[in-house]
Amino acid sequence: MIPLEAYITLSAFLFVIGGFGFLIRRNVIVTLLSIEVMLNAVNLAFVAFNRAHAADANAVGAHTGQVFAFFGIAAAAAETAVGLAIVLSMFRLKRSVRTDEADLLKN
Amino acid sequence: MSLIFALSPLIVVTVGALLLMLAEAFSKNKEGLAVGSTMVLTAGGAFAGAVWMKGFEGADVESLAPWLIIDRFSLFFFMLLCLGGALATLLAGGYLPEHRLDRGEFYSLLLFTTLGAMILSAAGDLLTVFLGLETMSLGAYCMTAFRRASVRSAEGALKYFLLGSFAAAIMLYGFALLYGITGTTSLVGISKAMRAGASHGPGAIFALILVLVGLIFKVSGVPFHMWTPDAYEGAPTPATTYMSVAVKSGGFAMMLRVLITAFGDPQSMSWGSGWPPALALVAVLTMTVANLTAGQQESVKRMLAYSSIAHAGYLLVGVVAIMRAHEQATASVLFYLLTYTVSTAGAFGALILCGRRGAEAVSLEDLAGIGKRHPAAALPFALFLLSLAGVPPTAGFFGKWFIFRAAMDSGFYWLTIIAFINSVIGAYYYLRVLVFMYMREPAAGAPVATPMRSGYVSTALLVSAVLVLALGLCPSTSLDVAVQAATGLGG
Repeated sequence: MIPLEAYITLSAFLFVIGGFGFLIRRNVIVTLLSIEVMLNAVNLAFVAFNRAHAADANAVGAHTGQVFAFFGIAAAAAETAVGLAIVLSMFRLKRSVRTDEADLLKN
Repeated sequence: MSLIFALSPLIVVTVGALLLMLAEAFSKNKEGLAVGSTMVLTAGGAFAGAVWMKGFEGADVESLAPWLIIDRFSLFFFMLLCLGGALATLLAGGYLPEHRLDRGEFYSLLLFTTLGAMILSAAGDLLTVFLGLETMSLGAYCMTAFRRASVRSAEGALKYFLLGSFAAAIMLYGFALLYGITGTTSLVGISKAMRAGASHGPGAIFALILVLVGLIFKVSGVPFHMWTPDAYEGAPTPATTYMSVAVKSGGFAMMLRVLITAFGDPQSMSWGSGWPPALALVAVLTMTVANLTAGQQESVKRMLAYSSIAHAGYLLVGVVAIMRAHEQATASVLFYLLTYTVSTAGAFGALILCGRRGAEAVSLEDLAGIGKRHPAAALPFALFLLSLAGVPPTAGFFGKWFIFRAAMDSGFYWLTIIAFINSVIGAYYYLRVLVFMYMREPAAGAPVATPMRSGYVSTALLVSAVLVLALGLCPSTSLDVAVQAATGLGG
């Protein structure tokens, strides 16, 4: 059986990769992908923790982590839909999907 | 049956939002939507008031725990959020037709966002916290992007969305760690595990840091405030009003609930190894940076955006004081949110009233001399700015007074002094608007703002003005309500 540490290490790696991708990349589509990677790291952590915690599969709250992961997937999908709509409306006006060209609003 | 009564504020807003969405799809006449949504939100607030008065003991609200917690704290926020939402819908009813943005989905978005904020304020489990937060944030992103022909709107929405999702992902990872450490997602269960010793581990501290990042982002505290001025400036003004009023209140409800319930153990709440020192630092930074930057703004809307960040700083002072004076400080934060809601909604409403299509009130120069040309539009603006600055006898004075007193009573003299100095700096940029309105004349040939006429906007301003004066002249009743709400939130 693969130990919990392995899952959590993988999840932390994914989260850090997503975070760096968000901070470094300037293409909005890639930025959205990075956020998606972060959210999937969270889902992985939830499911792994669930398996570590739930010794008795019939106990109340034995599937909390898995349920959380499902909600996380649904919310991530909704978030992507809204995000792509915003990117699309930006692209229609500026013909660009680069975050460093979104520089109209500043102090 | 009594359970349905206890849940009636949420049910009314949900059903109302769905019905209005249907009505919007099938009707040609968009005029009624503003009235309809205002009525839905007023009804939601009224039901919350009725549940508050009648009491909900024996209503079996325990069966909803830990997912939803119906207590006086959540009922207070139901009323506050419905008030803020109703004022924003009234403003939208005047603003959207004037600026040719009259598309009905704005009202549905606003209602569903309010529903998300209400769920957030009643959430007693990390899962419902997350769902409420996402419902609230997604609606707010859409409302920011509502002016589809405007690059500013799209750009503000893009920044808000990207940073908001990033912060939500960080906070969610904190939730996952909390679940891993404690084995439960209910806030009360986490608190129990923390008290049993889980709060000493490095994992718990790391989780606390991640959760704090998300919480501070949502209330736009420095250094996670960068999105706020851009999103607030880009959004149509009613959406800005809504974000600075209801979305911020929802954020503070989440912050209070999560910090007090889940991280309320002596270890996490201590000055040596908990969240209060981090939050105190953020409060000082927020107040100082926002007040110093607000004074340099030429755009009035952007100035008000920085002002809303500064007010988040004062509120954070109150949140820090909860560490030592639990009920008093919580009540002062709740009362401040009420005064801030009516003053800010009024200030943005007056800004909307001052401009019409083609002659908008954007910069300070646009407002020059408007006090003499159009006294009826300038007078409410002056009142709300004075309230935001905290001048007696307006609501803002007592809001600040109770926060500062709670901070003094819990021994944070240095924090109170910094907050006081900041509110003096803050008075500068509010008074600068008054100087432009009443003591300057516009340069020859310069564009000037011309007020619009709208029954909706006037109604919103009238309601806000009455509340600002009422809260400023006799704050005791609403303070009593805030104290009861704070008592409901067990530590």
